[in-house]
Amino acid sequence: MLQQDSNDDTEDVSLFDAEEETTNRPKKSKIRHPVASFFHLFFRVSAIVVYLLCELFSSSFIACMVTIILLLSCDFWAVKDSVLPIFLECGSHSQITLPPGSLTFFVPWTPFTVEVNVTGRLMVGLRWWNHIDEDGKSHWVFESRKASAQESKTVSEAESRIFWLGLIACPVLWVIFAFSALFSFRVKWLAVVIMGVALQGANLYGYIRCKVGSRKNLTNMATSYLGKQLLRQDTGDDQTS
Amino acid sequence: MAKAVESSGELGTTSPRPLMRDLKAVGKKFMHVLYPRKSNTLLRDWDLWGPLILCVTLALMLQRSSVDSEQDGGPQFAEVFVIIWFGAVTITVNSKLLGGNISFFQSLCVLGYCILPLTVAMLVCRLVLLAEQGPINFMVRLFVVIVMFAWSIVASTAFLADSQPPNRKALAIYPVFLFYFVISWMILTFTPQ
Repeated sequence: MLQQDSNDDTEDVSLFDAEEETTNRPKKSKIRHPVASFFHLFFRVSAIVVYLLCELFSSSFIACMVTIILLLSCDFWAVKDSVLPIFLECGSHSQITLPPGSLTFFVPWTPFTVEVNVTGRLMVGLRWWNHIDEDGKSHWVFESRKASAQESKTVSEAESRIFWLGLIACPVLWVIFAFSALFSFRVKWLAVVIMGVALQGANLYGYIRCKVGSRKNLTNMATSYLGKQLLRQDTGDDQTS
Repeated sequence: MAKAVESSGELGTTSPRPLMRDLKAVGKKFMHVLYPRKSNTLLRDWDLWGPLILCVTLALMLQRSSVDSEQDGGPQFAEVFVIIWFGAVTITVNSKLLGGNISFFQSLCVLGYCILPLTVAMLVCRLVLLAEQGPINFMVRLFVVIVMFAWSIVASTAFLADSQPPNRKALAIYPVFLFYFVISWMILTFTPQ
């Protein structure tokens, strides 16, 4: 029965694959770090709420814009500096360094922080940053934490879901806002919305790269996921017919 | 080419809060801009928080106090933002196309931080504008803006010039000159209604 459930979970969202397929430990569903979870969602959701309700709250465009910018920056800093817990067990390897110059076309104009030290993280099993070496070349590093045998670091499914839900839903919403601002000609909001898309999209991209670090690349993963879906579709049709 | 390295268990360790570290890094870079000398600090540990703060501050200070709430300075705020970031991105793309060996974000970082003198100029201009208007007022502001503009150019060339091949230096510096000139122009022609 438990196996059945976990298989259903993998059908829904492939991002939870790593958790399901590697360990037999019992999944904890309580939230280990309520503060971090709260703040992860708080900044993102309040940025969206302020954007939607700005006309009601205050007639000052500038106050809204500055508030949204501040919230987006705080959220970016908090999430990227990994205030959020996910514990992944990627058996094979846990750090990937891309060759220099490989990401020069990755163009989110956002404030990234060069991360030198991991501090007070509530354990992201994932982190990513940019590193400049002595030759002046820049490397992007995506890292995911290896499994440790400690009892305290078991997978917390609830937090994992909260993290990924917040991480994915918000850029999607900002993209929707971008289109709506564009088509309704509210151009002055376009700067804010583009900034939202860029910041949240960048975080999402970075963490997805960390997550799929153990595979070849993102396209392979997407292809295999689609292939799996199609296969399931066919077998589902066969069973029902 | 991807290199796989085992990470140690340090991800869960506690250390001093990253916020203070980041703030200190930003402050240190401000100091480096104010006293420009050939150093690698801005380039090695780039971050874009400083440019964001400066951009927001400058955009806020460039607001006209207008009575009509429909036009409550909205467009100007977004305009300044767009001009600064789009200008910086364009300069960076230009310098990369000229064969510079500086990375995208490093260049953005330097250009953004070197707006600091102009932000100071804006502050001074706003204070000076509190006094009575007149030619003397304008001369003072002009002088301040010119000095700060020169300071920005010197600071940014100190950091950026080395990354270009020698025969392309002027080509790379010219857009920077234009960029800061436009910002200085916005500052100089600012009059609160």
